[in-house]
Amino acid sequence: MTTAVAAGSSKLHFRETVCRGQSCGQASWVSGVTFKGCPQKGLSGYLFGISFLVLSESSYEFDATATTMSSWVSKVLQIQRRNFPQSSINDNWKPLRAVSASYLKDGSVKYFDFAVIGSGVAGLRYALEVAKHGSVAVITKAEPHESNTNYAQGGVSAVLCPLDSVESHMRDTIIAGAYLCDEETVRAWVPFRRKFGRKGEKYGVSGNQVVCTEGPDRIRELIAMGASFDHGEDGNLHLAREGGHSHHRIVHAADMTGREIERALLEAVVNDPNIFMFEHHFAIDLLTSQDGSDAVCHGVDTLNTETQEVVRFIAKVILLASGGAGHIYPTTTNPLTSLFGELQTPVDEFAVATGDGIAMAHRAQAVISNMEFVQFHPTALADEGLPITPAKTRENAFLITEAVRGDGGILYNLSMERFMPLYDERAELAPRDVVARSIDDQLKKRNEKYVLLDISHKPREKILSHFPNIAAECLKYGLDITRQPIPVVPAAHYMCGGVRAGLQGETNVRGLYVAGEVACTGLHGANRLASNSLLEALVFARRAVQPSIDHMSNSTLDLSASNWWAEPVVPTSLGSNIMNDVLSGTRKVRKELQSIMWKYVGIVRSTRRLKTAEQRIAELEAKWEQYLFQQGWEPTMVGLEACEMRNLFCCAKLVVSSALARHESRGLHYTIDFPHLVESKRLPTVIFPCSPVNGTWSSRQLHNQHIH
Amino acid sequence: MSSNLSRVFSSLIDLSAPRLGLACARSRCGSESLTHSNTSRRLFCSSAQQPQHREKQEEEEEVSPFSGNKQSPDGENGEEVEEEDEGGGGVHVNEQTGEIGGPKGPEPTRYGDWERNGRCSDF
Repeated sequence: MTTAVAAGSSKLHFRETVCRGQSCGQASWVSGVTFKGCPQKGLSGYLFGISFLVLSESSYEFDATATTMSSWVSKVLQIQRRNFPQSSINDNWKPLRAVSASYLKDGSVKYFDFAVIGSGVAGLRYALEVAKHGSVAVITKAEPHESNTNYAQGGVSAVLCPLDSVESHMRDTIIAGAYLCDEETVRAWVPFRRKFGRKGEKYGVSGNQVVCTEGPDRIRELIAMGASFDHGEDGNLHLAREGGHSHHRIVHAADMTGREIERALLEAVVNDPNIFMFEHHFAIDLLTSQDGSDAVCHGVDTLNTETQEVVRFIAKVILLASGGAGHIYPTTTNPLTSLFGELQTPVDEFAVATGDGIAMAHRAQAVISNMEFVQFHPTALADEGLPITPAKTRENAFLITEAVRGDGGILYNLSMERFMPLYDERAELAPRDVVARSIDDQLKKRNEKYVLLDISHKPREKILSHFPNIAAECLKYGLDITRQPIPVVPAAHYMCGGVRAGLQGETNVRGLYVAGEVACTGLHGANRLASNSLLEALVFARRAVQPSIDHMSNSTLDLSASNWWAEPVVPTSLGSNIMNDVLSGTRKVRKELQSIMWKYVGIVRSTRRLKTAEQRIAELEAKWEQYLFQQGWEPTMVGLEACEMRNLFCCAKLVVSSALARHESRGLHYTIDFPHLVESKRLPTVIFPCSPVNGTWSSRQLHNQHIH
Repeated sequence: MSSNLSRVFSSLIDLSAPRLGLACARSRCGSESLTHSNTSRRLFCSSAQQPQHREKQEEEEEVSPFSGNKQSPDGENGEEVEEEDEGGGGVHVNEQTGEIGGPKGPEPTRYGDWERNGRCSDF
């Protein structure tokens, strides 16, 4: 592994960081490192100096006289006149036209002020704000609406009720997060008296406080943008109360809140003349350089999966909002979508959340945090247990509600033994995490693929009236839930960890900001509170706006920058036979990796299994890379599946090393070797990048394959 | 081994995420108008303002859910005011909560997660 993990097991010692205008809380001396929400500026000394300036053999022609360029410039000038925001008149303001965008003859390099990777709620929210200050490219690997946001159906949590309080929301969040949330315990003084922003940060405002405080404003902005949420007869927002929240505070739109928010944002984005959507553009690697001890981000290489062309984006500011990595596990709620062939017929399934952002950031020397906290849902419908196996893989896992257990459903293993009472006296009514662990434990012990959830002892009418969705779905595949038990298995749902972000979404890589599931802001701690993820995305996307604008205003685009990095190559030279072999081989490897992750890095962990996972993953990766290169694959070659596989390996390894580093059980991370909470270990797990000497293909940026 | 786990799991009770509640107290927030952005900063004050709220304990099993889906329950009547087509823009008002256009049927969050017709979409 080419990573250095800082937490209990590491020997890295660390001086208190000097943080730019932000409080670090109490960075304490331990045989590891603590982060309490500060940017990693002071850490840059620990980043190994790696030269990123690789001279490219190919050259880009910049044709300044092309007619397309001049018409582009005039379009930009028009935009500039129309959208000129008063607030941006200052000495630093630079005219849009000098820096916005230019097209080359073959369209292989594009220049923007801002580049956003990902089109979920975080990416779009950010794009809409920064578009007032410059040109924005939104880069998304499928259709723009294909994001986890779209499937986030529950709601957004925010303090909007007079009986509720920011502190209550914070408290609920901290408790859910097993006290690993990024802050001290709830402060005694009332937050609303302070102004947030730079002044507030001086007082050590934490990520949690910021999110809970700024939530209501973000919701109102969404409404102003056209998102319509459910109201009551009194005209106020209807607030639901979800588990773990002590007050009603979930804003929702029927049961498709994420979709409604995504719709409203997309509509606004489509209508914004400064935002350019690049769909079906898969991000390959961030383009970075070293400026003294700092890593700096200049853009991102992408692959247009429809035309099979490489497109390089050079931008002053990059926001990474690419979501999570659910697909490192075989069963996940993260959606599968369809790849369309000619005639618009679906030819294949295609996973969006393959951890692309986390992997790219890690390769770009960004610090990653808390990857061991993967949230699972205990009872997703297990397709393998259905009498008629579904012909194609389900689009996203069908989660069976807790209400089934609440209404009297009983869990059995495949020997029809009721196992929950062995784990908890509340049996099936135990908290969800306990149920998830129990199911996982049973599956691993018995080496089985699913357990059974039986509600058939209840009256048929009640079952059908309460759970028609489950009944219909199961009946489609030959199962009558009023007579037979339902096969269920835990599904990976959300990653609490990710790229370490400061209070303004900044990372240790200059010019690189993160927001949404890809980020680890410290809000979720060791476990996410329901409906907090949409809120976190909104709040941090918004907070990254001003620093991005400031950064952008102080940067100039070097139009020759595109020459600094080796160019990714599309493997047409390999021929279609080899490509098909590579494709099918890679698919098998993905399934194998998912199987290793589920078997050894599931919900109930152990040091032995984690080490086995580490070893197996390393072997699998080596085998896969060897196979690739034997087929003639060059290190700078790119293809969707191969690049996704690289990213999946990277994320899987990050999860395993983080899990190995935490010598306690907390929140979502449970290990039988350290089954208790240890107060002194109430620290985030942090992974630093290391020199990629002896690194695998997945751990090095594509354009940086030469080791010095 | 299982008794170890049992002890272990029970020691983790306090740290687990959302608890399952069988009968959720349903308090509703009052009718304070929330139009200003600084309203959230007045959340604390409140002894002067006493917005009314209703508290209801309900056995969800007794409530007849109005299923908007293809499968309609046998012999049970919906209690809501109006029929709504699936996906249509009809005005459905939930009698218990006063919510307009909301999900029909039992309260989606009654067991802690977000549930509709049996399928969970958030937790």
